[in-house]
Amino acid sequence: MTPEREVYLDYAAATPVDPEVARAMLPYLTERFWNPSAPYARAREARDDVERARGAIARLIGARPDNVVFTAGATEANNLAFAAVEGHVVVDAVEHESVLACAGTHARRTVRVGADGLVDPAAVARAIRPDTELVSVELANGELGCVQPVREIARVVAAERARRLEEGEHRPIYLHTDASQAAGALSVNVSSLGCDLMTLSAAKVYGPKQVGLLWAADDVRLRPLVFGGGQEGGVRSGTENVMGVVGFARALELACERRPQEARRLAALRERLRAGICERVPWAVVSGPRNPKRRLPGLLHVSFAGVEARRLVIALERAGVSVGTGSACAASRMRVSHVLEAVGMPRELAEGSLRLTVGRPTTEADVDYAVDAIAGAVRAEATRLGLDDARQLERVSSLGWGATGGPRARGAGEPEGGARGGR
Amino acid sequence: MAGAEAARAGALPARGARVFCGLSGGVDSALACALLVERGYDVTAVYMRNWSRDLPGFRCPWADELADAERVAVRLGVGLEVWDCEEEYRSTVVDYLVDAYARGLTPNPDVMCNQTIKFGTFVERALERGADFVATGHYGRVERAEDGRVRLLRALDEHKDQTYFLWRVAEEALSRALLPIGEVGDKALVRRMCAERGLGVEGKPDSDGICFVGPVGIRPFLLDALERRAGDVVEWESGRVLGRHDGAFLFTVGQRRGLDLGGGPARYVVDTDVEKNVVYVTADRRSPALFCRELSLGDARWVSGEPPASGRYLVRTRHTGELREAWVEADGASRTATVRFDEPARRVAPGQSAVIYQGLRCLGGGVVQKGAGLVPAGR
Repeated sequence: MTPEREVYLDYAAATPVDPEVARAMLPYLTERFWNPSAPYARAREARDDVERARGAIARLIGARPDNVVFTAGATEANNLAFAAVEGHVVVDAVEHESVLACAGTHARRTVRVGADGLVDPAAVARAIRPDTELVSVELANGELGCVQPVREIARVVAAERARRLEEGEHRPIYLHTDASQAAGALSVNVSSLGCDLMTLSAAKVYGPKQVGLLWAADDVRLRPLVFGGGQEGGVRSGTENVMGVVGFARALELACERRPQEARRLAALRERLRAGICERVPWAVVSGPRNPKRRLPGLLHVSFAGVEARRLVIALERAGVSVGTGSACAASRMRVSHVLEAVGMPRELAEGSLRLTVGRPTTEADVDYAVDAIAGAVRAEATRLGLDDARQLERVSSLGWGATGGPRARGAGEPEGGARGGR
Repeated sequence: MAGAEAARAGALPARGARVFCGLSGGVDSALACALLVERGYDVTAVYMRNWSRDLPGFRCPWADELADAERVAVRLGVGLEVWDCEEEYRSTVVDYLVDAYARGLTPNPDVMCNQTIKFGTFVERALERGADFVATGHYGRVERAEDGRVRLLRALDEHKDQTYFLWRVAEEALSRALLPIGEVGDKALVRRMCAERGLGVEGKPDSDGICFVGPVGIRPFLLDALERRAGDVVEWESGRVLGRHDGAFLFTVGQRRGLDLGGGPARYVVDTDVEKNVVYVTADRRSPALFCRELSLGDARWVSGEPPASGRYLVRTRHTGELREAWVEADGASRTATVRFDEPARRVAPGQSAVIYQGLRCLGGGVVQKGAGLVPAGR
């Protein structure tokens, strides 16, 4: 059975390599294959290509090329950031697994988030201890789409740095942000973000997988995790992925060029998707920040109480529609994602959650087809389970998790939490 | 309940009977589930998660299997529940397996799994949940008599028959069991019927062997669970040391491969002694040590609860192996039995099952005892 149309709605999990990026990369598979460290002139060309890519990327993120370390993806870059410090770290509860796992190897404090997934900078300030050396907050979360107040958190970190200077304490404190999910839609300029370390991934911006970078400010001393021939200033040994970094640079250029129009277009598609689903399934629950400025434009998190998301994924795959249920890592282990747990989403909603992300190739016709398929799949499951609209609406409103595009305040009495959807 | 009464009356359960069907992600249980839905039963599919551990060189595919089971359930419009049986599985199947190997036996973990998990835990939990029947994708048939007694029969497809693994299942559990695949002509037809129904699993390969060790085989699993212990490989006839091995528990009677003797003729394992850590081999394929006339069975079980009268029956000593005629004497009190063949038969590794049939009917069986039928040789 071949579906009528193939619609991919999981761009937060993987993006196709842009044809233009692929074109830029292709020569490096065959004729431009040289090892940048080799002594002859041709190899010198390969080294120049790597440095040109580094320079282009540095310009796009407002940094100096020397401070950019290429890695095999964002997870490695996050690991490298955490390896730079030994002391206490502060992270928030909705970070990517790689950040949480790295934090797990340090003394740490995990800052709670509001029901919309946003981090409160004041909570970060309270979590920082005199021995804290690293604060890590993702620029945008890939599951609920929250855009975190990194600039405000940078001010918190700067204030602590000033206090230490004032009091003659020499312990450094850095702010790291994983901007992998954000780079396609938001500015990732390091000086305007005010961070000291930043992770980026080519795979989320229509570039190749297993290519990423860590930018680190001058005063951060990175410690290598991979030892060998001393490439990347000794911080990341191994023959440079020339093809990968050339692709990365081209991909990031395209992303930055197209960012303003593309962000608007994605936001409109996402709204079309949201409106379509909510019209057809009135008890659909949309989560994440309400303020569009605090949200990734192309991401829609939607939950159907009492329906199993895993079954929806299967029903939708038959219709040719690929959707995510959260981070792929949690999905493969069949657990409710730590992000939904952290925001306190009721289990019956969490288990019925889809994470839909539109991307560069998505069209309005794709969205309309997906709305039909999603509403159809949800309706079929609801029928099987004997769930009717009126009772579902009641059920959803009794959960205390707003049904019309944003959660209510949790009021859990947790000073570091609380919804703040309206910022 | 209508279904339960039907079970007693011996007829096929009526439409609407509540059936819990095990769904493994494979072809057979997928079709079983589909057939039950088509017969109009109220079906709940259950994926039993028995094991999820990865081994070196083998990633346990439970999550993929679950996804396939889920696909089938969604296609059929039935609910799928995931039941965690890891604890029971580990304590009854895996520990039993490791313990048996440590004692120099070659166990049948599938036999234990059917007895304690699929027709044990699964049936119990399903009945607690109000099931009239349980169903699996096994190749076997349950014949229901007017008086409510049931008999276990070999599947219609003799090449796929799985009663060799079902002999320890008690009649009580069988009386609640539906085995729709046992009535289907052959495996090719099972695949075709899956394809016709769009279940999406028809192309999956048959699973063989012990599911939790995968294609890498039992050896790495055992070397992980038990201590490697170097010992001698000794020629059965002469007592001469031919080489070394990693642990007598790794070898099984009749085994030819995995003996690292640096060339020479093919040799067969005749016996293992885990106490002395010695593996005895012979190069003579016709060595009397590789044959036996008699098997003594322990831990015998009979589907009806009663041992059969002494007499001539059919005996099977490996899955889908030859059904040989033999004289069987069973003793109910000691739960033992003796099998006497007319002609010498290939020796059976101790720990393996010998299953007794009368015509199509599986009566039960026993576990081949250590040293059974071994002709003493000059060692």
